[in-house]
Amino acid sequence: MMPHALSTPMIEVRDLRKSYGPLEVLKGVSFSVERGEVVVALGPSGSGKSTMLRCINHLEEYQHGEIRIEGTSAGYTTGASGRKPHSEAVNARLREQVGLVFQSFNLFPHRTAVENVMMGLIHVRGMPRRVARQMALARLDKVGLVEKADEYPAKLSGGQQQRVAIARALAMQPKVMLFDEVTSALDPELVGEVLRVIRQLAGEGMTMIIVTHEIHFARDVADRILFMDGGVIVEQGAPQQILSTPVANRLRLFLRRYQGDYMGS
Amino acid sequence: MDHVAQTAFFLAAQFPKLLSGFLITLGLSAAAIPLALGLGLLLLAPRMVKNRLIAGLTVAYIDLMRNTPLLIQIYLIYFGLPVLGLYPSEFICGAAGIALQHGAFLVETYRAGIESVSQRQWEAARAIGMGRMKAFRVVILPQAMIRILGPLGNQLIILVKDTSLVSAIGVAELTMTGKIIIERSAASVEVFVAVALFYLVLTSVLGAALRIIESRLAERA
Amino acid sequence: MFRVLAASLPYLLQGAVMTLWLSAAAVGIGTLLGIAVGVIGTTVSRIARTIVTGYIFVLRGIPVVVVMFLGYYAFPALGLRVNAYVAVGLAQIVYVSAFVAEITRSAIGSVPANQIAAARSLGMRRPAILMQVILPQATRIAIPPLLNNALTAIKQTSYASVVGVWELTYAAREVVERTLAAFQIFLGVMVIYFLICYPLSLAAKWSEARLSFSQ
Repeated sequence: MMPHALSTPMIEVRDLRKSYGPLEVLKGVSFSVERGEVVVALGPSGSGKSTMLRCINHLEEYQHGEIRIEGTSAGYTTGASGRKPHSEAVNARLREQVGLVFQSFNLFPHRTAVENVMMGLIHVRGMPRRVARQMALARLDKVGLVEKADEYPAKLSGGQQQRVAIARALAMQPKVMLFDEVTSALDPELVGEVLRVIRQLAGEGMTMIIVTHEIHFARDVADRILFMDGGVIVEQGAPQQILSTPVANRLRLFLRRYQGDYMGS
Repeated sequence: MDHVAQTAFFLAAQFPKLLSGFLITLGLSAAAIPLALGLGLLLLAPRMVKNRLIAGLTVAYIDLMRNTPLLIQIYLIYFGLPVLGLYPSEFICGAAGIALQHGAFLVETYRAGIESVSQRQWEAARAIGMGRMKAFRVVILPQAMIRILGPLGNQLIILVKDTSLVSAIGVAELTMTGKIIIERSAASVEVFVAVALFYLVLTSVLGAALRIIESRLAERA
Repeated sequence: MFRVLAASLPYLLQGAVMTLWLSAAAVGIGTLLGIAVGVIGTTVSRIARTIVTGYIFVLRGIPVVVVMFLGYYAFPALGLRVNAYVAVGLAQIVYVSAFVAEITRSAIGSVPANQIAAARSLGMRRPAILMQVILPQATRIAIPPLLNNALTAIKQTSYASVVGVWELTYAAREVVERTLAAFQIFLGVMVIYFLICYPLSLAAKWSEARLSFSQ
């Protein structure tokens, strides 16, 4: 059993603050994620959860705070002379290590499913097509879609598209997977197939941050739940504790709104 | 430095001529625009009726205008009407030619605007008991007008630029004036740079006015 | 009834050949140049974007005839003796390029930001994103306006006659001034232009219908 102090958290977020012009969206968010941990971020819209995810893989810039991936500072280097942003090249390498799956899938419409999955392998890792295709097919198999490999996204259901998007992110063999409300845009009957894939990944020990509305799923899969509201983390803890005995008022209201019958179970 | 000063002085001296050419350009535009807008409206109904023959003929006319240069149409009017015993002025020939071509384009602009108003608006209007004409006038048309405005404005700016073609039949508008100045003096490129500036000012002002109107209408919508 | 037209047809068709040359140059080179300028107009460099915006604004704000006159008189002013076709041809190429640049800029801007976010999330860099994600999608969006623009460019070659370049319209006017058979000749020339332009017009309409449904 390794002493806690010796293992660096996979992700460390310290006092993250971000504003869009006059509007402050993140007001000092701090938390860490250990290797293999599944952290679920719950909260109402506008609470800053998606923005926080996008800061972690540096799709968004932020004004204050530090994010470390495996101990290395991401996005900026803070030195004696202040904060210097990393070059786009360094940021791109960061994003290879941090996979992000979007609410709106964002598959490339002009490429087939397998070509979507191959995209990063060919154009970032420089793999030859044949090798990339083999790897991509293996990933599609993992999400249960190998028979749709040569279909264009327009021919796939929402759930299928999202699974291809997950395969595409996984193809890069990231250290961390970020999921940004990945089932919110799906018809209810398609949500299950995506959650199944995420659950499987969690079981395999992938470090994940999941932003979602699906409280049942959060309870099933999360090692820890963060409740965010108004740009801060209001409460965090193990799912049993957070969901059955919420302390903060805002959290109670949120749970009541999203899961009327959950309270008291 | 001396050469630049000379050129500037020369152009300043030409300003009155260029200005009068500019005014003729404005006059041509002022004449052709209502004619084109009107022709477009006139052809709108025939374009959209169910009768295959009438709609087909209108489409044929529009396609003809779309696929032949404006200059040829102007020449056809200018050189052709005298054969029939009519001698309209160059100004009228030019304005008419422009109106005939742009009127055809405007029909499509109007049509696109009307058709872009969702079918559901029609259904809603009919559902509360409005007749076709009233539904069109009160519900569809106002919405169509907002959508038409942008493309319409762009088309009219193109029309204003097309007035330069009328120089080919001798109307002393801005481009022709430039030609005349060059032919009568030792000047060259600078004259047309000045001409270009006049047009640029005109199209910029029109473009800005168009954007202001669009944003005002968008506020109301 | 069409005797004059029939007699002048060989002469007019020679003019049509010049029209086709001018059109090919204007559309071909103008489109390529315009795409390059348009892509440059979407880079990160503010200077590049400003220059491209200025280029597009000026050229789109003046009539093509004036641009042709500028081209025609610019070369002698610089002390260069250039063939009228080259001078006016280059002018039209530049003119077409401005419109193509605007179409290109607009098409690139129409590619949803999400697509670029997805590509960046995989670790892709800007050149790869441009080539693999942005341009393929922008091309689909750009084809209908590019085709329409080509159609306009072909018709605009006729305006070169105003500057003194000999092509179909110039030839037509010569014949009419000689024979006074205005209707025959100009109607006949309209037919010739129609035959040249109509296939392109159909292609443009077809592309509007087909390609406006994005995948």
